[in-house]
Amino acid sequence: MDWIASCAGSIWGSYMAQVTTIPVVYNVRKQGNDWLPQISSIMASEPVVSAGPPQTVTYKLNPAAVWSDGKPITSADLKYTALQIRDGKDILDKTGYADVTDIATPDAQTAVVTFSKPYAGWKLLFSGSSGVLPSHLLQGKDRAAVMKDGYTWSGGPWIIESWKKGESITLVPNAGYWGDKPKLDKVVFQFTADTAAAFQAFKSGQLDAIYPTPQLDAIDQIKAGIPGAKVQVEAASGNLEALWMNNARPLLKSAAVRQALSYSIDRNAIVGRIYGPLDVKSPAQSFYPPILSAFGGQDFSVYGLDLAKVDQLMTGDGWAKGADGVWAKDGKPATLTITTIAGNKRRELMEQVMQQQLKTAGFDLTIKNAAAADLFGKILPDGTFDIGIWTLVTTFPDPGLSFAFDSGNIPSEANQFSGLNYSRTDVPGLNPVLTTVDTATDPNARLAATQAGDKLIAESATSLPIAAIPNVLLTLDKIGGPTSINPSEGPFWNLEQWGLVG
Amino acid sequence: MLRFAVRRLLYSLPVLLVGSFLLFWAVRTVFDPLLKLRQVRDPELIARETERLGLNDGIFTQYWRWLSGFMSGDWGVSSRTSGSVRPMIGSALTVTLELLVWGVVFATLAAVLIGVWSAVRQYSFSDHALTGLAYVGLALPAFWFGLILIQFLAVWPQQALGWDKPLFFFIGLSSPGQDPTFVDTARHMVLPVLTLTVGLVAVWSRFTRASMLDALSSDYVRTARAKGVPPRRVVVNHALRNAWGPLVTVVALDSALLIGGLLVTEQVFSIPGMGRLFLDSLLAGDVFVLLPWMVITGAAVIILNLVADITYGVLDPRVRVA
Repeated sequence: MDWIASCAGSIWGSYMAQVTTIPVVYNVRKQGNDWLPQISSIMASEPVVSAGPPQTVTYKLNPAAVWSDGKPITSADLKYTALQIRDGKDILDKTGYADVTDIATPDAQTAVVTFSKPYAGWKLLFSGSSGVLPSHLLQGKDRAAVMKDGYTWSGGPWIIESWKKGESITLVPNAGYWGDKPKLDKVVFQFTADTAAAFQAFKSGQLDAIYPTPQLDAIDQIKAGIPGAKVQVEAASGNLEALWMNNARPLLKSAAVRQALSYSIDRNAIVGRIYGPLDVKSPAQSFYPPILSAFGGQDFSVYGLDLAKVDQLMTGDGWAKGADGVWAKDGKPATLTITTIAGNKRRELMEQVMQQQLKTAGFDLTIKNAAAADLFGKILPDGTFDIGIWTLVTTFPDPGLSFAFDSGNIPSEANQFSGLNYSRTDVPGLNPVLTTVDTATDPNARLAATQAGDKLIAESATSLPIAAIPNVLLTLDKIGGPTSINPSEGPFWNLEQWGLVG
Repeated sequence: MLRFAVRRLLYSLPVLLVGSFLLFWAVRTVFDPLLKLRQVRDPELIARETERLGLNDGIFTQYWRWLSGFMSGDWGVSSRTSGSVRPMIGSALTVTLELLVWGVVFATLAAVLIGVWSAVRQYSFSDHALTGLAYVGLALPAFWFGLILIQFLAVWPQQALGWDKPLFFFIGLSSPGQDPTFVDTARHMVLPVLTLTVGLVAVWSRFTRASMLDALSSDYVRTARAKGVPPRRVVVNHALRNAWGPLVTVVALDSALLIGGLLVTEQVFSIPGMGRLFLDSLLAGDVFVLLPWMVITGAAVIILNLVADITYGVLDPRVRVA
């Protein structure tokens, strides 16, 4: 449970134990139709940004905010957290913190963070996956050793009572919490490995709520109906599943071929087949997921199934269909392999549907899946794939696609294969636009840049968004309170407001 | 007997050593120990870990370093959870053994009863019926049978009788958030043990039947009958005692394999045992867990093989002499 360390990667662990115990500067809350950053109760006021140079952000903390031992949450905690991330060795994500040059703490409630270069995503600091850690409990100690097996302190409404690895996490109310106290005396998160058994346990009352991954078996169970339960489907998630094309492959270097592939795939049919039972039927038309819908456009809506357009693009690029119905050029057929995480039934079904659709359009697609560790540890960094399906995960509503589309982030010797632009996207004019998104502190300039970037990506069809993965929460009728899914913080973001009916 | 046991144990050590090296070599060849860290995209971290783990050393040097650590109790740290591997495996092994012991005890009792009954009543209706059921038991996939048991023994009775909770639980081995009690544990154990038992009973009852038929047709049984020994004593004291040997061997070997082979049962019933630990570690490419896991399950095979030999020796003194 060392949330900032490289070993922390479990979104489930974060939903259960991080969101409920680790204080953050910005929560994500629904305002109108959008989920947006909103200062949390540890803050006395909205942070003040000075564009500089150098850019600074001044934080004012709420004097009433305390840790579970009664000690106040102070600027020293912000400083400790930022330095642990900036200077730490095994850190999951240093984005933003790496550019911090100084953290002044003029008093216990004030912290002033100075950046070496403009950083538009400053709201991510001390929020999202990092939060604020208690310096008075961790300073001078091995943070990882103290936290990795769970911790006995809290700055949220709940405190961890026990963690039985592979079995359960038990939370009880944090008696020292300064805000509204939880209504439940205890919450046990039971880890269930089998979806069918989890649904049976839910139906039989062994589990009071479940938050299944929308895999095919879970969707089938929901479709069949569950009496005595409330089913909530939230299509506005931060997870965008996409068809990623390796733009460095000989076949896919051609924008015409990538566009032809995009016109060959009937995304409406795929999304309807998989998520239709959850009433999610429209494909994504931007690489910004619904949680960032305010920033994305609809530029990918041009790509619908259009075989005449495929023929036009392919013949225009010098391809001709052979006797086997497969496009060929210079004696080489248009054959591709597709890869994703082996065993992911939803994606495997997508692959099979795409295989049929591409065959109709004249492309020969072979499915070659791999274990997650191999896919993300080797295949994608090495670029040994043609096209693949994986998910772009956004955990905080702050835009930015440079990590995935800036040509400087293509894995290479120069960055020791540490870049995340696995699709090897290199579109003229795109990098400056993406940089503006990362650095502009003017919201209007930023919005214009996000939309311009989306347009450039769509025009060159470097990859193709398929659909946002909806979140699903099922609760028994006996569970009361405003249960809902927060696309950033998960289903237990307001667990302190849950209660038992009757 | 002690000499026999010590001799068998000494024979086992080189097997274990060679086996562990082959496993080490295979795991190092197939898996990249730094796979998880590579996803963090920190070249410095990769270089430091490569140096710390000595991954640039030769395979024998790496093996010796790992073996020394393993023997001294330092089994390393999981790349998936950052937790120490020894307590992880210890905890998973305890859970699996708990399940396995109950399963093996019940399966052995049921298999002996069914096997003896079938052999004594060879070609009767009940023998044919039990034979047919054994084949059904063999054919039942554990994942399906587990879900069927959940439906028939937990969900439907609860719905039909309007109970608040099902009679038998099917998530984990105890109710979370409360102190474990015997009754609670038993309510959690029934369904996974039944799931595990059905396949074992099917196989072992066939072995028992075959061994019993062999024993019942032997000269000493015929002699005992001719001397007027009551039929029950003939079966229990003369035939069954001699039929135990093959069954003990099968039970021991199957139990050893099941230590790592309860994956499906553990998955269906969300039991954090050795099978699930293996699957989770395999999917994450966590070599730091996979290697000790394989050595432990390999050692279990060798040890239970030894137990089978010794037990066989106890049951049949001729084996010790040989």
